[in-house]
Amino acid sequence: MKNVIHVKPQQMINAFLVFFVVHTTQIGVGIHGFQRIIYQESKQDAWFSVLVIGIVSHVIVIVMIKTLEMYDSHDLYGINREVFGTWIGNFINVIYFFYCSVAFFSVLINYIEVIQTWIFPLLSTWFISATLLLLVIYTFLGGLRVIVGVSFFSFMLAFWLIFVLVFPLQYSDPQSLFPILESKFIDILKGAKAMTFTIIGFEILYIIFPFVKDKKNIRKPVHYGLLVTTLMYLAVILVSLTYFSGEQLSKTIWATLSLFSIVQFPFLERFEFLAVCFWMLIILPNLCLYVWAAHRGLTGMINISAKKFIWLFSCIVLLLTFFIKSRIQINSINNIFGQVAFYIVFIYPLFLYVLALVKKKLTS
Amino acid sequence: MGTPKFMSKMRIEKNAKTYSRKKEKMGRSPMSNKFFKNMFKKKESKQQAQSDSSSLKNKSINNHSHDKKLISPDKAKFISLIEKESNNPSDLKTKFITEDYTLFYIENLVDSRVLNKHILPVVLKNPNSSPSELKFQLQIPEANMTENLELAILELFSGAALIHKNGYPTVLLAKINTRESRSLSAPENESQVIGSQVGFNESLSTNESLVRRYIRTPDLYIKKLTVGKISNTTVSILYLKSIASEEMVQTLQQRITDLKIDALLDSSFLAEMIDDNSLSPFPQMLLTERPDRFCDGLLNGKLGILVDGSSMAVICPHSFIEFFQSREDQNLRWPIASFLRLLRFSAVFLSIFLTPLYVAALTFHYEVIPQSLLVPLSESRALVPFPPIIEALLLELIIELLREAGARLPTKVGQTIGIVGGIVIGTAAVQAGITSNILIIIVALSALASFTTPSYMMGNVIRAIRFPIIILAGFWGFYGIMLGFCFLLIHLIKQSSLGTPYTAPFYPPRWVDWRDSIIRLPLPLTNLRPTSSRAKKRKKYEEEPIDPEKS
Repeated sequence: MKNVIHVKPQQMINAFLVFFVVHTTQIGVGIHGFQRIIYQESKQDAWFSVLVIGIVSHVIVIVMIKTLEMYDSHDLYGINREVFGTWIGNFINVIYFFYCSVAFFSVLINYIEVIQTWIFPLLSTWFISATLLLLVIYTFLGGLRVIVGVSFFSFMLAFWLIFVLVFPLQYSDPQSLFPILESKFIDILKGAKAMTFTIIGFEILYIIFPFVKDKKNIRKPVHYGLLVTTLMYLAVILVSLTYFSGEQLSKTIWATLSLFSIVQFPFLERFEFLAVCFWMLIILPNLCLYVWAAHRGLTGMINISAKKFIWLFSCIVLLLTFFIKSRIQINSINNIFGQVAFYIVFIYPLFLYVLALVKKKLTS
Repeated sequence: MGTPKFMSKMRIEKNAKTYSRKKEKMGRSPMSNKFFKNMFKKKESKQQAQSDSSSLKNKSINNHSHDKKLISPDKAKFISLIEKESNNPSDLKTKFITEDYTLFYIENLVDSRVLNKHILPVVLKNPNSSPSELKFQLQIPEANMTENLELAILELFSGAALIHKNGYPTVLLAKINTRESRSLSAPENESQVIGSQVGFNESLSTNESLVRRYIRTPDLYIKKLTVGKISNTTVSILYLKSIASEEMVQTLQQRITDLKIDALLDSSFLAEMIDDNSLSPFPQMLLTERPDRFCDGLLNGKLGILVDGSSMAVICPHSFIEFFQSREDQNLRWPIASFLRLLRFSAVFLSIFLTPLYVAALTFHYEVIPQSLLVPLSESRALVPFPPIIEALLLELIIELLREAGARLPTKVGQTIGIVGGIVIGTAAVQAGITSNILIIIVALSALASFTTPSYMMGNVIRAIRFPIIILAGFWGFYGIMLGFCFLLIHLIKQSSLGTPYTAPFYPPRWVDWRDSIIRLPLPLTNLRPTSSRAKKRKKYEEEPIDPEKS
């Protein structure tokens, strides 16, 4: 059991905080415009797709926790090494490391694109990316407790945004949801698969598990976190489906932001200006947790200090953002990443669980 | 695969080593270990202080506590010794009472009334008694014998009279120092409407007695330390022995004894020296001049520090949100107290973000302002020649200058400053066309909001951090404001106060403590001490039924 992670009690977090971790990692840039992608597949039954992927995520999490409990105090990287041996295990870990890094990168460039499109067309990419990276570095160097703290406050301070949906609800027409279940079942599943990029994030559980103080109580917060996310997506998709016409929805890239733009207060109009900037608080835990997960993977393989790693990582990410120029590039990155993420987040845990079971049976 | 195994073996060995080292450490009781360390350090620092005040030659002696300078039994020798060690200042008085008895004291440090009435007659009456006999005959509260010359000198300079008898190698220390301090007055910086109206003053003994009068129990423990190589300032740590966390007391004491400073003139200096992150602008310990606020902290399991010569007491650990709580909140009915707390806390947000929002909206985001509001805004700004950021910075600067001038000037002149400021800013600036009316309202509002913070230190921080955020807003609009906000948030999460989280009770969440944080629920519901003070006893009192008649 050489892959056991020894965590000092000060670095541990309470189980119920995993609720915030799971939820805030799931909600990120995907929610800005997932409606169009699902609508292309399952039309007005898009909300079924959300429901399906929500339920699937619950199932996957059950499997994840079962696997993790089999190897107490291991994270995914440790389990990989334990199950596949050092060489193949490390190879998979490298893939997972790159997965986390690409997740980080795609969240970053998507947010940069939203900022540039909606508010500051002339603000340079490198500036936005450098400032965000500095915030990430500052958080990351505080350790896991600070990262979890950021995700806690991110949830607490941004939760009210969901109630802003009341404004577009006034103009929505429930008729556009009908006829229900007209799409083929396979289309609904395709829509669910297209949701991958939006709903992933709960795989952070694999990495954060050894850092949880009371591991027995972890199920409840994780499932509540998933449930809140699913309900939130469901609310957003239902409002979007009823507010926009089908034709409109398939042409709106950031449907959620378009929903925000009709919000009006006596002292404030064009709410999306505020919302897009406020979104920084929502993507911050995303970025921090992914880079933390990547760091966990790397420290298992090579000896690198957290400080060195984060600066190196940030520099590379900053350089890479220079190559991203157009919407098409970002879209293709999202698509490819979504495809890969589907296998890593939804298929691999099942595979790993079965293998771990078999291995345990064989050795005992 | 040979090397990894070897490596792991090495690691195991290493682990074993560290483990054994740990065990060794654990073997000795950590408590007593620390205690002795502290004792030793204290002695050392005291000796160092003396060596500085006496002569450089003695420095080598100080390292060996065995070779203490002893008191010479011979009268003439002793006099020359005292004069040499004390550098013979002009206020050192040497008085020969009888043939054998000699009295030394520093003029103005000793109470001459006591000296004339209770010491001189007694010595004159019993010229033949030995110093130890004399000790019991003197009618003064504190008299000690010592053979240690350094201690005698130190006591001489803190207001004791030395009585030496020819032929005896000891000296009698009669502590008759004068206690000059200003009378107790209402706390000026932390006034409140309902509640006691007394504040600490500069005398340590008065402050201690004030606390003792609020908390009359042997449980109130006072630990005295000496800080400062030159100033030899007395610092008292106060806590309730059955409530305060032992570990925290140790940490605090360690931090104070580890200080290597020349002089300690004020408690705020001490607070900044011993807090967790001296780089942060946010104070991590509360400075208060209210004994009731101080005692409230002690009763909640926190630790208090009193510094001789300083009218501000230190309370730690103190979380961020507690800086916005006033002692008065406990004296008001809970809905009112909750309302006031919410008001104060929203005032913080207003104070930090209102001006930046104005700057950002007018520089970049005209779209967010509704049309009905945009018309008066642009009308008032029509004549202003500056961009919003310059306009805002200028006005904020004027307000800060007014505040600073008001704080520095004597009260009589201070009032005129208010009038001048009011007229200049209120009317002249607008008529001259350098600012808009609306910005004046905003700036005045945010200045007003920053003054509602019950802690002056925290109020200053709130006002200061507004400036970088205005600049961020001027360059990058809402995005810049959000950058500032996120940075502040992360910064606050990172801080700690004496090892406890600064953002308590919000993060890490202690749901029960939320009852007495940004709001205050009725007293029966807030009977627990805050988790962050790690008190030994969690309950302050048994829960009472909220509605006595029904139960």
